[in-house]
Amino acid sequence: MLQIKELKAGIESNQILKGINLEVKAGEIHAIMGPNGSGKSTLSAVISGKEEYEVEGGSITFDGKDLLELDPEERAHNGIFLSFQYPVEIPGISVSNFIKSSITERRKAQRLEAIPSKDLLKMMREKMELLSIKKGYLSRNMNEGFSGGEKKRNEIFQMSMLEPKLAILDETDSGLDIDALRIVANGVNKLRSVDNATIVITHYQRLLDYIIPDFVHVLHNGRIIKSGGKELALELEEKGYDWIIKEADKKWA
Amino acid sequence: MGLIKNIKLYSEEIQISADKKEILTSFLLNGFPTTKDEEWKYTSLKKVIAKEYRIENKGKIIDSSVIEKYSLGFKNRIIFSDGKLINTPTIKGVNITGFSEFESATTDSILQLNKALSQNGFTISVDKNTIVENPIEILFFSTTENSFSQYRNQISIGENSEVKFVERIQNLNSSSSFVNHFTQTNCAKNTKVEFNKIQNNTAESQLIDTVNVYQDQDSTCNINTLIFGGSFTRNNLNFEQNGSNCESNMNGVSVLNDNQLADNHTFVDHKSAHCRSNEMYKGVYLGHSKGVFNGKIMVRPNAQKIDAFQSNNNLLLSDTSSIDSKPQLEIYADDVKCSHGCTIGQLDDDALFYMRSRGIGIEEAKAILTYAFAFEAIENISAKQVKTLAKNLLAQKLNVDLDFSL
Ligand SMILES: Nc1ncnc2c1ncn2[C@@H]1O[C@H](COP(=O)(O)OP(=O)(O)OP(=O)(O)O)[C@@H](O)[C@H]1O
Ligand SMILES: [Mg+2]
Repeated sequence: MLQIKELKAGIESNQILKGINLEVKAGEIHAIMGPNGSGKSTLSAVISGKEEYEVEGGSITFDGKDLLELDPEERAHNGIFLSFQYPVEIPGISVSNFIKSSITERRKAQRLEAIPSKDLLKMMREKMELLSIKKGYLSRNMNEGFSGGEKKRNEIFQMSMLEPKLAILDETDSGLDIDALRIVANGVNKLRSVDNATIVITHYQRLLDYIIPDFVHVLHNGRIIKSGGKELALELEEKGYDWIIKEADKKWA
Repeated sequence: MGLIKNIKLYSEEIQISADKKEILTSFLLNGFPTTKDEEWKYTSLKKVIAKEYRIENKGKIIDSSVIEKYSLGFKNRIIFSDGKLINTPTIKGVNITGFSEFESATTDSILQLNKALSQNGFTISVDKNTIVENPIEILFFSTTENSFSQYRNQISIGENSEVKFVERIQNLNSSSSFVNHFTQTNCAKNTKVEFNKIQNNTAESQLIDTVNVYQDQDSTCNINTLIFGGSFTRNNLNFEQNGSNCESNMNGVSVLNDNQLADNHTFVDHKSAHCRSNEMYKGVYLGHSKGVFNGKIMVRPNAQKIDAFQSNNNLLLSDTSSIDSKPQLEIYADDVKCSHGCTIGQLDDDALFYMRSRGIGIEEAKAILTYAFAFEAIENISAKQVKTLAKNLLAQKLNVDLDFSL
């Protein structure tokens, strides 16, 4: 589904991603861990098409398409979804209108008929119940005055409405209380199917008890320096990053 | 010929008092303000007054369907057609009649002209202790081609009363029109007044709208101005706070395109202690449009404990649009809080990316963000119906789909 080869990207003269290789197949869940500032959010932003970052080399293909050729909205139309580490506040636009716009625009791009407002609303209500989101929420302005956890839930709510093929969750667990964590993880698991895939970026092994990954990768200094199964996360929890980083630094020195 | 000549000829046809004649003479001597006047430095009337105008007061009958088309849907409606008052609502505790003479300041030549020659307008007095629940809608239609019209209105609000107005000036043909509008408002003790000005006139419409507000203690007056249409718009909002604990609030949204110009000139004269003023003006400029903001705040020596806040935020969405923004603070008291801020910016890239990553195309995303930017000034409108209306008008203007209002 997603193939990243030797991806190098940065901002101005500062190279942040220094040669990323990653393959994600349909049906898989990948976890990316790594110290602060290692490039995890940058990688997710580059996959989603943030223009601020310049791609200096390598490639990203998604379902055989050259992703780097597409605008962010086209990537979304093709089924890519990024749950932001820091969701943006958009005053004046209600959650419901925002979601309606994104669904309508995607269907337009796919040459599908718009879903009537009434049906959309029904869908929203169903998903909200699934995610234990309070009623008044739909008419609130997008992320405005939302608590940290509410913003994250709102991201997952949008994800569940958009049903992406590839979801990238950038520290969606940070700021969630224990119940919310379980609810959000449940939401992710419910969406899981043989046709879609998820990349979970997290600092905490705890989330991976709920969303069980097929692969765990460690990102450090713009490179994936170690990959393994779900046990790797447990090992990291116990031993920290030092031991891998030392090995890697030797290798890239 | 131009407007000055048109006015001269008109003044010869009508009977006016010696006082008015004197004022008119003074006007004709000075003419309209030019960019040499400090208050008109960035806004030129040259093109506006070079055109030919007809000054008509006949009041053609207009079809009710036309009225419905432009009405904002309120129950209580005051309607003018070419100057003539053709409808007044009956509201308990509110007395509404047509034009009446009243004393007013003639601080500029625009107001001189208005005082000397106006024959149309409304007079509203609200009794003491009267809460008018439904906003009063005031519609000014013009059917005459190339019309120059002047309105002169007076509002007095009795103690402890509350009232809201929604105003709209509408030209019913595609030729140019020019309106010199003046409203004087006296707010007695403990009153609450809100004006909502929907300035969404035709492309060739021109307007100078002056409101002078005189506030007694404990009164609150809000003026919300939405400028979407018209080729030339100048708003002069002047507040005089004559008692303690007054509040004057101004919110403005301009969304301009093509060669539109809109100038918001505000003046708050803090003459008493323990008062507040709040201004939030938002401008969105596309095409070759131009915005002007001039916010003057005067705090007189004895006006201590004043809280005056002013902000003017602008989005320039084309390389050929411009904004001139000028705060003007004159503070003669020492225990006051005054702040002002002016920003000129583009749309926030992070927010744009957020929306695009959710599949919203760049144009739509820009429109939504522009809407969000301007919305803040609308949020402060207290009349709920008016707020909804303003939101919808703004969304319409920016092509944003808000159909999902839950
Ligand atoms: N827009 C930017 N301008 C300048 N530097 C940037 C920018 N974006 C990222 N960086 C730098 O790139 C590096 C990687 O940042 P990134 O946000 O990808 O890290 P991260 O792995 O997501 O960290 P965290 O775990 O703290 O979220 C950091 O050193 C960061 O300062
Ligand atoms: Mg990050």
